[in-house]
Amino acid sequence: MSEAVLRRKRPEDANFGYIVERHGLLIFCTVLTVGALIFAPNFGSAANLRNVLISASPLGVVVLGQCLVILVRGFDLSVASVMATAAVIAASFDADNPWSVIPAVLLSLLMAVVVGSINGFLVTRRKVSPFLATLGVMIMLQGLRFAWTKGAPLGLVTKFIRLVGTGTFHGVPINFVFLIVLALIVGFVLRRTTFGRRVYMVGGNPRAAELVGINVDRVIFSCYVLSSVFAAIGGLVLVGYVNAVDNWVGRGYELDSIVAAVMGGVALGGGRGTVLGALIGALVLTELFNIVLLLGLPVQVQLIVKGVVILIAVAVYLIAQKTR
Amino acid sequence: MPFEEGRTTTMLRASGITKTFPGVKSLDRVDFTIEGGEIHALVGENGAGKSTLIKILSGAYVPDEGKVEFDGRVVAWTGPRQAQEAGVHVIYQELVLFPELSVAENIFIYSQPLTRLGFLDYPTMERRAEEALDRLGVHVDVRSKAGSLSIADQQMAEIARALVGSVKILVLDEPTAVISGREVELLFERLAVLRASGVAIVYISHRLDEIFQIADRVTVLKDGQLVGTWPVRQVDHDRLISLMVGRPLSDVFPPRRPIRPQAEILLRAEDINVAGRVKNASLTIRAGEVLGLAGLVGSGRTELAQAVYGGLSFDSGKVVVDGKEFVRTSPRQSIEMGVGLLTEDRKGEGLLMNLGIGANIVAPRLKDVARGILLDLATEAKICSEEIGKFGIAAPGVRTRVINLSGGNQQKVLLSRWVRASRRVLLLDEPTRGVDVGAKVEIYRIIRKLVDDGYGILMISSELNEIVGMCDRTLVMREGVITGELIGPQITEEAIMTLAHMR
Amino acid sequence: MSEAAAAIGTGDRSLIARVRDRVPPAIAIEIALILLLLVIGAALSEQFRTLDNLANIYEQASVLLLVSLGQTVVILTGGIDLSFEGNIALTGSILSGQVHGDIDLLMPVIVGVLLIGTVAGLANGGLILLLRVHPLIVTLAIASVLQGAALLYTQRPIGGMPDGFDSLAYGRIWGIPVGSTLVLVGFLIVGLLLKYTRLGRQIFAYGGDPAAARLVGVPVTRVVLFTYGLSGFLASATAIFLVARLGVGNPVNETPLNLSSITPVILGGTMLSGGRGGVVGTLLGVLLLQTLSNLLNFLEVSTFYQWMIQGFIVIAAVASHLDRRRRRA
Repeated sequence: MSEAVLRRKRPEDANFGYIVERHGLLIFCTVLTVGALIFAPNFGSAANLRNVLISASPLGVVVLGQCLVILVRGFDLSVASVMATAAVIAASFDADNPWSVIPAVLLSLLMAVVVGSINGFLVTRRKVSPFLATLGVMIMLQGLRFAWTKGAPLGLVTKFIRLVGTGTFHGVPINFVFLIVLALIVGFVLRRTTFGRRVYMVGGNPRAAELVGINVDRVIFSCYVLSSVFAAIGGLVLVGYVNAVDNWVGRGYELDSIVAAVMGGVALGGGRGTVLGALIGALVLTELFNIVLLLGLPVQVQLIVKGVVILIAVAVYLIAQKTR
Repeated sequence: MPFEEGRTTTMLRASGITKTFPGVKSLDRVDFTIEGGEIHALVGENGAGKSTLIKILSGAYVPDEGKVEFDGRVVAWTGPRQAQEAGVHVIYQELVLFPELSVAENIFIYSQPLTRLGFLDYPTMERRAEEALDRLGVHVDVRSKAGSLSIADQQMAEIARALVGSVKILVLDEPTAVISGREVELLFERLAVLRASGVAIVYISHRLDEIFQIADRVTVLKDGQLVGTWPVRQVDHDRLISLMVGRPLSDVFPPRRPIRPQAEILLRAEDINVAGRVKNASLTIRAGEVLGLAGLVGSGRTELAQAVYGGLSFDSGKVVVDGKEFVRTSPRQSIEMGVGLLTEDRKGEGLLMNLGIGANIVAPRLKDVARGILLDLATEAKICSEEIGKFGIAAPGVRTRVINLSGGNQQKVLLSRWVRASRRVLLLDEPTRGVDVGAKVEIYRIIRKLVDDGYGILMISSELNEIVGMCDRTLVMREGVITGELIGPQITEEAIMTLAHMR
Repeated sequence: MSEAAAAIGTGDRSLIARVRDRVPPAIAIEIALILLLLVIGAALSEQFRTLDNLANIYEQASVLLLVSLGQTVVILTGGIDLSFEGNIALTGSILSGQVHGDIDLLMPVIVGVLLIGTVAGLANGGLILLLRVHPLIVTLAIASVLQGAALLYTQRPIGGMPDGFDSLAYGRIWGIPVGSTLVLVGFLIVGLLLKYTRLGRQIFAYGGDPAAARLVGVPVTRVVLFTYGLSGFLASATAIFLVARLGVGNPVNETPLNLSSITPVILGGTMLSGGRGGVVGTLLGVLLLQTLSNLLNFLEVSTFYQWMIQGFIVIAAVASHLDRRRRRA
């Protein structure tokens, strides 16, 4: 029986589903910001806005990496562990010696490349599900880190990192500027380089990508390595801001980064989404947490909010899919 | 009670059945009756409407028009459960078996016997399962996992499932597609046993010789319409085939040129073996020629093409292109050698749904639109509009995502991709599937032009008129083996069907 | 395994063939490894060799046994439950917080807490069905909500349990730990349920092939709700045992329960893709891991290294093809 000929809806047929998919996040972000300005005390103050940007930056950096992995139909649960490990490595160097920032950063990045390679290897060569692979690696890394630090918190990191973490440039936090620069680079790579195109192809249809001659395994592997690298950078940015290094740096970031990306339109099925969307997702998430605090609610409510937000976001996208 | 003319108890009578799907009329006023204790064969080409009819009989589909009477009473089943309860059981080609559950559990998957306490009554279940299997002459341990059984025995388990549900009509969809030789004979013996006990059997198969061996009556469907029903004694092999295919060739094909003298060989595949799917198949593709590859669904045509291209790995054999021999192929390599493959499954293996038309067209050759590692989107857009014009793709704009295109236009995008990426050899697997008539004509025109320009094209198709209309030479496959070659005027639908059914 | 069954037929099947058919490879490996560890441990350490130590291993396994039991059933349906940590944080805190040492309140609060856990589980199942989203996301979201609620209730461990409550964790009758034995009974019940009831078979069918299961009329809603509800119930039961052990409920989890509940399941041969495996494998998996950690403790390997080893075991188990990703229908 010959396949029925289907006519797809044209982009002009706007309906709820279409609007949500294209602009849902922006709408939500605007509504949220306006609502916050009205209802939350001090939301609009320069100090508070600066706070929001500063705390959004580490998350944003990690989200960039997580984005890449989600685009190729995976996800990376080891990012929080990598963040903490990078922080621990950085803190092991002499905080008073400004030159120590070079080996600190290099070593952290090296660690990230190794971890990302393990993830990539397990997922591509051994066909392990991303869930198990990155979870297992996360635990192993955690154990390694705790064993090395003997569970105790460490000291401080060098001035340079701290500067990036807390300094401001004409009122705008440096780490946010740093994030924007990174985001622009990643966005550019995704949109305008052959590598970025291959990422979208592999995520959209791995089999079809294979049949047009793309080395699918290599693309996926690279994304996992990049994700770990960004996680390491995010970890360094975070400790620059927080300044105290212990073994739990970045706790919760694995879920937060996935949520932010998914909210930002980077579908878990792969092949769809942009860096801009993911960043907005990170911003929105941070804004939500901020609002919770400003409203005087206990910090634990943030967690509840996080959970509820995930569910709502998923439900909305689902309804959007159905009405397309 | 074996079937005899004149002594009939009609179990099921379907009259005037019509079923339409969007854009396609699957069944058009079909009448079909099933008598008790008969084996009734149902034949027809791919797409003739056999599976739709079966789904209606089994309650999975509801007919748009017409009525079904079971045991003299009109029934309006809304789901398979009701049909099953009435005694109609269908055994599909894809067995619905749970490999991790035991044989007995699978046989009783619809409803399990319970003890008074509400627990599963294993002793009863196993005993009755064994009895059912014994009736079929099968002896396996009903406690072993269903996955450990041979395919033939798994099939028997499914039939046993029907038996314990007191079956009246058993429908078998291509039962011998996955078994052969002795197992087939055993199947026939068991079916005969069932028939003797009054069960009616509907038997769908492409293997006409089997039908002559075992069936009492045969019904032929063609393009959704009933051609007729006859006692098997009144037809023979050739008549059956001509009944199945007789259709006037329409005027859609570009005029055929006379056969050329031996042209240059562009690609040669020798003794390709793909485990279980292709056996020692060889083919040559010559410049200026359309080589057809025909055969029934599952005969291995797609696997052969994919093996040659590199989308599937082959166990032995070699491919020779441009004078170079390859014992292993890969998509990247094929593209570099100028060979392209338009896959059968355009959504699953061809299109990148999340990307636009341009991205899909340049996909195999990113370096055409790249300077170093940077993408030149302007060039891509230019190529895209050129191709849209060349192939007549109806799209709102250059940036449109392919998911928004109609099937015919999607196919044209893929065709454009591979025409651009290939250098004289193209493998096309079902190039006009799911494409409306207008687009089909255009695609035929494109293929003919390519060939006139010196391309060598392999065309796999299940539509016989297409093969007859387009191909200069045709190979026919059956169960992984190439059964014959037809050249020029030898290519007729009857000849193809004969070779496709040949043992 | 299969050749034996198909080729020989009923009747004269050798004992070896029968055994080989019945005992899955994963379980055989587990038993072998446990014995190996016991031998090594006995050789290396005096204290390890005692009967009391064996009882110790068994006793400490109670918590892990409970969580992995729930996880086993969930994984059998092809899903996963990552809400244990949040669930336990909440129910454990409420337990010790509400009871506050008052023995009259003990039973009502226990019942209440079990109810809360079950409801959380049902919420998981309900959302999975409603939203048609991978259980990974739903259970993680619920975990977040539960964790937040726990911290809202209390930021630090509060309250306490009446005297003697710790006998659930440490009590022994004739040298045999009570708590773990209770859990073992739970294993038995769930195992029987899986094997001998219609629902049990439906769980396997659904996990093995959701599309086919729907085709044969498996009540999917019932299966999913029951599975996750049971998991939630067992999570709160785990909280009860944990509180018995520690004396108080902790709103913040210290141990990686998510991975811990999954490792024994995978080791036991239950595949993440669903439809295959069972509780016996999980039981042995827990005992194996517990024996390992006991041995490592004797060898004075720090907890941190043990985490590492556990992570490594998971990776090794899955990388060696004991589990394969499967495209879901």
